[in-house]
Amino acid sequence: MSVPAVKSSWFTPDIPKSPLMRRRMLWAYAFISLPILALLVFLLGPILFSGWVSLHRWDMLSPVSEMPWRGLGNYIFLLTKDRVFAKALGNTFLFAIGGVGANTVLGLGFALLLNSPVRGRRVWRVLYFMPVITAPLALAVMFSFIFDRNFGVVNSVITSLGLPRQPFLSAPSQVLMTLVFIAVYQYVGYYIVIFLAGLQGIPQDYYDAAQVDGAGKRQEFRFITLPLLKPVMLFVVVTNTIGALQVFDLVFATTGGAPANSSMTVVLHMYNTAFKFSRMGRASAMAFILFGIILLITIIQVRLLRDRAYGD
Amino acid sequence: MTKTDHPLQGAATALKYLVLVGGAFIMVFPFVWMMIASLMTAGEIQLRPPVWLPAVPQFNNYAELVDSIPIARLYFNSLFTSGIIVFGVLLSSSLAGFAFAKYRFPGREFLFYLILATMMIPFFVTLIPVFFIVRQLGWIDTYQGLVVPGLTSAYGIFLMRQFMITVPDEIIDAARIDGASELSIYWRIVLPLIKPALATLGTFVFIGAWNNFLWPLLVLNSRELMTLPLGINSLRSLYADNTNLLMAGTAVSVLPMLFVFIYLQRYFIQGIALTGLKG
Repeated sequence: MSVPAVKSSWFTPDIPKSPLMRRRMLWAYAFISLPILALLVFLLGPILFSGWVSLHRWDMLSPVSEMPWRGLGNYIFLLTKDRVFAKALGNTFLFAIGGVGANTVLGLGFALLLNSPVRGRRVWRVLYFMPVITAPLALAVMFSFIFDRNFGVVNSVITSLGLPRQPFLSAPSQVLMTLVFIAVYQYVGYYIVIFLAGLQGIPQDYYDAAQVDGAGKRQEFRFITLPLLKPVMLFVVVTNTIGALQVFDLVFATTGGAPANSSMTVVLHMYNTAFKFSRMGRASAMAFILFGIILLITIIQVRLLRDRAYGD
Repeated sequence: MTKTDHPLQGAATALKYLVLVGGAFIMVFPFVWMMIASLMTAGEIQLRPPVWLPAVPQFNNYAELVDSIPIARLYFNSLFTSGIIVFGVLLSSSLAGFAFAKYRFPGREFLFYLILATMMIPFFVTLIPVFFIVRQLGWIDTYQGLVVPGLTSAYGIFLMRQFMITVPDEIIDAARIDGASELSIYWRIVLPLIKPALATLGTFVFIGAWNNFLWPLLVLNSRELMTLPLGINSLRSLYADNTNLLMAGTAVSVLPMLFVFIYLQRYFIQGIALTGLKG
């Protein structure tokens, strides 16, 4: 066996004694060297640098060594003075809540339908999955047209039914809802597939036993399906929230944050701040605030869903 | 689950199929409408009351599209850069994953936890510094600027390690006794055993790279290097008044990928369900 008896830990690195083991160790370092170097250069280094930049004023043109220090000035400005950022945060939260809620309910609902005896399960799955692999940018372009106030097909249907024309993406009151619809359209198929895999992982025995005990469908769902699906639920809610809070492509190509910033999101605002207005410090601070929020929400979600999963 | 027939059973089944059909209609309609609109004249799109089909399908729209943007070039750029990224991620992830799964070396635990931690970092936090690095390297508006930052993936390393740890040590030791080198153990024994995992990771990475928009938007300027999403984006302003041509352009960029997906669907979906549950 190639595994020595002593268990290595963070603190007691065990350096293999035999020359053969040493050679293998060198091979291992060779295998990881390039990937680790790349992660240092393109992930770990940048996150540290980004944190440093967020404490400065920087336009990316002046030398890094001459960035004027601002301390927490960027953070304070964003959290107290930047109205657009506040708006963007609010919009991003609403977008995430709407999207995650709808994806979870619809994803589980359709997964339950597809898990019941149904013809053509594979065909349904493929149809629901098509938008998942389509570029968000392409969907944004398609739906800008579909929801267009004047020439959109949805309005064609609505008006031919004698109902009033709706603005959808062009009115502050409807734009977020419409964006949530598009985002759910895009990703619900992914969550259906995940939930379906979770449902198929629940042993049939449990349901058989419940039926012997005289449990109804509703009770089976409440006391078998839901509790056993909690790890999958956790995965769906956490990944979907993380993704939704970072929305960019969809908003960029449908509204660009308009009208009147009513669909501005944090990453879009960050992009504008950095690459239109060259305020790298402020944009980096924005990134860190959002990153902090994402971490916090993830921790809360994991706590909530995990405790209930193993609590009872 | 078989049950005796119940009068409500039939109604429930009908409702079930109704919901499934309704959902599927919503899923498919945008694609169909895109194709229909791409065959209309610019005038037909703006008619009131609306028309649902073109009087004469305007296949010309596609010819006009090909004249105004280099579709073949966009495809080449997307395929080429996504291909290199997939190859890079598979190679780097499997090499590092192999080392983490099957070797003992000082710092292994620490480095592995470091990789787990970097998996949490969202792209937007590193966007500005990585852009800066690429610019300092003089890689703005080059393929390497687009590709190099994406050649490693912390998630990929993690996934490969999880799969490689299931490869029995006995097989590897047996190969060593037979005189196989470490590299050939990796290449001839371990890689073939984790082919399904490689295919899944490769699919993920490919879709991600193929659909990526923000990074190419920042790095690339010239038309010769544009990827498909950038091409669609440039059509948005070029065809602001010609929605029919915009839809033709979107169709050309989206449909081939959809056909590939439908052809390989079973394999796609199983892989995604698998990694979703593992992660």
